[in-house]
Amino acid sequence: MNVYLLQVVNGIGVGMLYFLLAVGLSIIFGLLRFVNFAHGAFYLLGAYFCFQAIQWGLNFWIALAVVPLIVGACAWVVEKVVLRHVYAQPHEFHILITVGLALVLQEVVIVIWGPLGDNVAAPASLQGVVMWGSFIYPKYRLFVIGFTAVFALLLWYVLEGTRLGSAVRAGSESTEMVSLLGINVFRVFSLVFALGAATAALAGVLAAPIRGVEPFMGIEALGIAFVIVVVGGMGSFSGALVGGLLIGIVQSVMSTLWPEGARLMIYVAMAAVLLLRPHGLLGRG
Amino acid sequence: MNRRNLLKMAALGAVPGSLWAARSALAQSAGAIQFACPVPMSGAFAANGKFADLGMKLALEQYGKALDRPLAYTVLDTEGKPATAVRKVQEIAQQKGAKFWAGGILSSEALAMGKEAEKANAVFITTAGADEITGKDCNRATFRWSVPTFGAIEQTLRPLLAEKPDAKRVYTITPQYVFGEGLLSAAKSILKEKGIEHVGNSYHSLTEKEFSGYLTNAMAAQPDILLILNFGSQSSDTLRQAVSFGMKQNCTILIAWASGLEQFESLGADLCEGVYFGAQYWHGIDSPLNKELVQLTQSKLKMNPNYSLAGSYICTRIMVDAMIKANSDDPAKVIAQMEGMRYEGLTGTEEIRKEDHQVLKNYYLLKGKKKSEMKDKDDYAIIVHSGQSFLPVAETGCKM
Repeated sequence: MNVYLLQVVNGIGVGMLYFLLAVGLSIIFGLLRFVNFAHGAFYLLGAYFCFQAIQWGLNFWIALAVVPLIVGACAWVVEKVVLRHVYAQPHEFHILITVGLALVLQEVVIVIWGPLGDNVAAPASLQGVVMWGSFIYPKYRLFVIGFTAVFALLLWYVLEGTRLGSAVRAGSESTEMVSLLGINVFRVFSLVFALGAATAALAGVLAAPIRGVEPFMGIEALGIAFVIVVVGGMGSFSGALVGGLLIGIVQSVMSTLWPEGARLMIYVAMAAVLLLRPHGLLGRG
Repeated sequence: MNRRNLLKMAALGAVPGSLWAARSALAQSAGAIQFACPVPMSGAFAANGKFADLGMKLALEQYGKALDRPLAYTVLDTEGKPATAVRKVQEIAQQKGAKFWAGGILSSEALAMGKEAEKANAVFITTAGADEITGKDCNRATFRWSVPTFGAIEQTLRPLLAEKPDAKRVYTITPQYVFGEGLLSAAKSILKEKGIEHVGNSYHSLTEKEFSGYLTNAMAAQPDILLILNFGSQSSDTLRQAVSFGMKQNCTILIAWASGLEQFESLGADLCEGVYFGAQYWHGIDSPLNKELVQLTQSKLKMNPNYSLAGSYICTRIMVDAMIKANSDDPAKVIAQMEGMRYEGLTGTEEIRKEDHQVLKNYYLLKGKKKSEMKDKDDYAIIVHSGQSFLPVAETGCKM
């Protein structure tokens, strides 16, 4: 198979993981207008909780199901206890407090698991590769594409087809109006923040068998997540999907065209989108 | 206490890591000869720094005294940044008169500290990799224990090609900075000499974490050998992803510059099985001093020494031994003793080449063992080859 076609397929795999990483950040910003620099730390927690679960002898599937819920619950508590009190403050306060939170969580990870990285094995049923002519691709990465696609559909349904989704979408337009309609906006805020953190943790769990775990993975993930949110448009679900796929494919194809610039092209793509569409590909003006 | 628990305790002391200040680490009694251990104690290379700290501590505790004076040292957190490293060593030289420095994990910080050592009339010995340290940027105050890139490739790729006579195609993955270029250039000349096809190379940036795109290129080129020329967590990520792409089944994988035991530990035996690794040090080396160090770390720290610890340990010993031979703590006299010094080191008999201050020592080619063949938890690999290769001084670019 043509190497560029292989790179596009690989880019979709990378992009789906990027989508998962970014969609929570995008939704949180869309509703709360809150810049969450701790988002990468929830991804980090997801990856390490998965690692720990496997160390305890639990299997990957249990970790996949349970870890996002645990991280989501932790985020819900953090939102209630800490973040809620700074929503009304300028963005500088949001950045300060979430960067602080991210650093604390990172150091906690180092204290508990140490500064060295660790490996997380993919489940036995997903080890190995799929071969189709000259197309060779890891089974686990194919699973990540499929799983993330299904999850994206579910998330889309929650946001578009449920009462919670209506509240979230309305809240992103006018929180005061939603409040006047008798909806407990703060509860919606908490739920959305927990949901965003849970999706980041889910990305962490799925990424662990690909990247392993190490205490600084959250910072790197946060950078990518912000790029995707900016490219796709802040607060846009479909923007996160398009942005994630675009960045994944650009990165992967550039690995063949201009390998040394593959990483750089992520940021060039972001700059180009900012110039041509300042609100992102699918963002609202 | 195992290695991981030990590091956790070290990490507890470092919270928050970025606030790690210079820490007096051994009895600071009056009249002590002062050493400094300038290494990253926070950030991505903090683990290496923490092991290096242990290495210097073990060495100085082992000697206790030199020239009838106690030995003291201070850990300096360089944060892996050249500017911070220079500032910290300047401060320690001025405030405590510390003139004996062993550290510098990253080439950039080591190069910067080497220049500062010369200005400050100090002695600096490092384990960093860039050829320039004992090449065009060499100076009277700077020494290097680790084998540079030329020797690392000569002692890994060449013996591997001899072991795999059917291998005709090699693909390389290279970080685009001076260290990677050095490894790549040495690899290309061997491939050219042997008539082996270099079927492709993927450069990548120093911040890259996603290697699947480069591996897709590599697979399309159908190599017999995948030669990984990056370092640390990047080489772990590359290997992890290469294995997931099934490359271990289709070709031989060589990481030319592995970071040693800590890398095996973070990857696990299953991933490392059958993979070749180049290494500066391995705790299984059969030499009297290495056996002594292994016993020492096992009794004091309940762990086997890794590269970062061993490198710092031997660098400290070299300086103390030279000081004792010189019967002086005058840096100029210590340097004079170190130049041309032969000693029984961790890798056997080692010698410091006078002309460029490069330690002439073995480099090792390891092969990952099957998990079922491991005799203990750290027995990840066997040494399949060792030897020495160094450019002649005239070709290093070093002019003192």
